[in-house]
Amino acid sequence: MTDPTCKVNDLGIWLKKQMDEGKFETPRSRQQATEISGFLSEVCQGLAEEDHITAIMKRADFLASAGETAEIRGAGKKIISDVEENLEIFLGHIQTHTCPSGACPMLTPAPCQMACPAGIDIPSYLTLVGQGRYEEAIDVIRKDNPFPWVCGLVCTHPCEFMCVRARMDAPVAIMDMKGLAAEKAMSARQYKNPEPKPDNGHKICIIGAGPGGMTAAYYLALRGYRVTVIEALPVSGGMMMVGIPRYRLPREVIDREVAMIQDLGVEFRFNTRVGKDITVAALEQEGFEAYLLAIGAHGSYKLMIPGEDDFPQVITAVDFLLRVALGDHRPPGRRVAVIGGGNVAIDAARTSLRLGSEEVTILYRRTHDQMPAHHMEVVEAEEEGIQFSFLTIPKKIHGEDGRVTAIECVRAELSEPDASGRRRPVPVEGSNYELAVDTVIPAIGQEVNGSGLERFEDMRWTRRNTIQANTLSMETHQARVFAVGDAVTGPATVVEAIAGGKKAAHAIHRYFEGFPQPKFPRAPTRRGRMAFFQVPAALKADLKRVEMPLLGNERRRITFQQVRLGLDDTQARNEARRCLRCDVCIRCGRCVEICRDKMGINALELGYMDFDHPGKTDLKITAERCIACGACATNCPTGAMQMTDQGGMRVLSLCGTELNRLKLEYCEKCGAVIGPARYHDYIMRRIREISPKLAGKRVCLDCARQETGRRHVEMAPPEKE
Amino acid sequence: MTFRNGQKVEIYQKSADESWESYMDEFVGLHGIITDPDAVKNDPDALVEVSLDEKGTHRFPQDCLRILED
Repeated sequence: MTDPTCKVNDLGIWLKKQMDEGKFETPRSRQQATEISGFLSEVCQGLAEEDHITAIMKRADFLASAGETAEIRGAGKKIISDVEENLEIFLGHIQTHTCPSGACPMLTPAPCQMACPAGIDIPSYLTLVGQGRYEEAIDVIRKDNPFPWVCGLVCTHPCEFMCVRARMDAPVAIMDMKGLAAEKAMSARQYKNPEPKPDNGHKICIIGAGPGGMTAAYYLALRGYRVTVIEALPVSGGMMMVGIPRYRLPREVIDREVAMIQDLGVEFRFNTRVGKDITVAALEQEGFEAYLLAIGAHGSYKLMIPGEDDFPQVITAVDFLLRVALGDHRPPGRRVAVIGGGNVAIDAARTSLRLGSEEVTILYRRTHDQMPAHHMEVVEAEEEGIQFSFLTIPKKIHGEDGRVTAIECVRAELSEPDASGRRRPVPVEGSNYELAVDTVIPAIGQEVNGSGLERFEDMRWTRRNTIQANTLSMETHQARVFAVGDAVTGPATVVEAIAGGKKAAHAIHRYFEGFPQPKFPRAPTRRGRMAFFQVPAALKADLKRVEMPLLGNERRRITFQQVRLGLDDTQARNEARRCLRCDVCIRCGRCVEICRDKMGINALELGYMDFDHPGKTDLKITAERCIACGACATNCPTGAMQMTDQGGMRVLSLCGTELNRLKLEYCEKCGAVIGPARYHDYIMRRIREISPKLAGKRVCLDCARQETGRRHVEMAPPEKE
Repeated sequence: MTFRNGQKVEIYQKSADESWESYMDEFVGLHGIITDPDAVKNDPDALVEVSLDEKGTHRFPQDCLRILED
């Protein structure tokens, strides 16, 4: 964990120090300072409302103006200036219930939530899914992402890379749990929109109906804006619809989630390309007050080799996948060469196979290990029978009578690493050969096609040919014009576009409200603090990550049926129990340290706590070593570690995981609880030297004290008269 | 240097690239995991997605990153 500092917490610590040092001498100023301190503490614990700021400022103002000493007046002024300078952080604590600095333990977000570009409260929805409360889970997810079903199937899930459970064995299947929740809620007709705010009269034009544009449309519509989405294609979804094949993301999934956005009153105009079918001037005349450009990256890089432009059988992957998505299911050819090593190349190859192509070969200039496509996609393509030709560089496309007949390639080998550490493919001289194919699909990258946007004259473009935008507010250099998605980042992920859409909606609202735009990344919002699952340590440790059932290979090769078949209720229940609840346990390590260093017991082996150097984790070892002293629970700042007495047993649990359970013993003399035998023995060993007479007795500390006191009286010499 | 999914990296310096924004200055020195490398053609100029330990997920130019472990 980095060294945490938080402006709210810092102010609270400073004020407490001033009070401890007696700086507030008079009862009246002391009262005001005590109240401010209490309010600051509530802000740090997520218990505050926005009224707290007013209350703090009112009392600080009193100290600044009516304080009896210069020191008190100075303290009042410092509180006012600290709050004013850091108002965004104070409000962030109150509105989001999170403090990403880590200084406010109760508000520290889980690493998975921090990693999610959209900031979804993952621990909360995992718990709800594990309880079978799918409707509530979807409500939690849609507060930050209006496409839970889409993201439950195709998200790149950065959350799982940061999942702390991965340091024990494997990450929780966060994405699959989201997909299940959406499917179940939709099937039960429990997938509902929140109630939008009343119409505020402002008209917003969103250009592009991809994930970024539609996310912004959803959150703006909920805030009462009149939103119109203009789309060049005849369908909504952008790259989700025309770039991702149906075996990964069924069209119905997109359609159902888009329909939810339409239900909020968002107007869609399809087959309308800005600059061709409608001008920016015409949009201005319609009274749009702000624009969001979400045009995606639908252009393709060229191979720049001879023959590329000479044959209709050379079709870019983007155009090919678009054509298939819009209903053209003719096979592209009998023998297909796909050029590239990324996800789009894999998608084009697997789609060709499903359409009936007999031989599909991916040509890639580097090695298998260096393929940038996701590992699972490559594995599934290999299973389906896609051929791979690595270290292969295309040189020329040959053809006859207007038809492709072959692609000429040259073999390559990797060079020694250059200064940047990269090993480049170098052609092997004289290794040219021809591969007989009738179709070539280049998939070597996409770019933004900005034609039609020339009217936004002040807008700037980057050297990567993307729209230059502030990635906190998504503002461009053109007033009233925002931009999101691949048009800003270059080809990126669905969830990043969704995150951008949410940020843009927030920024557009701030623009209309006259609020300043954020200077720092917005902290994700904690949507709840769910009760823990009660799970024995052995079960928690032994539960393995659920395996997603896949469609049989025979059917995969010939249909567009969804490959990943989804989880069932039982799998989801078990998977939810694997979650370590890092929204509550902030991995500060105090429990481990106090057990090992102060108590000398070392019963907590929680190696997963360290990000950089994770060690061994053994949840079962605690039951062997723990004496149930409770030092860990007492020092836990968030209540993650708990010790309770129940039914004659003392139970130690970490976020509901039962680490130890020991039988309680009672005082021989008075009957009071003295803790488990192990604990009692530990105490007796510690006091054996000073109180040998108690050895072997089961007495509480009060009775022990009385016993020792009596012995001292008996041993003391009589006083002289 | 080619970045791949799951590699642990450090933001070891500011980048002079135009995509580097001022709020990123405070990320220098932080560690994270590559969550979406350039998924197309191993382009050294592409922005790559990194999830930083406790600081969220962002896209960075590659010249500010160094690999800590594969």
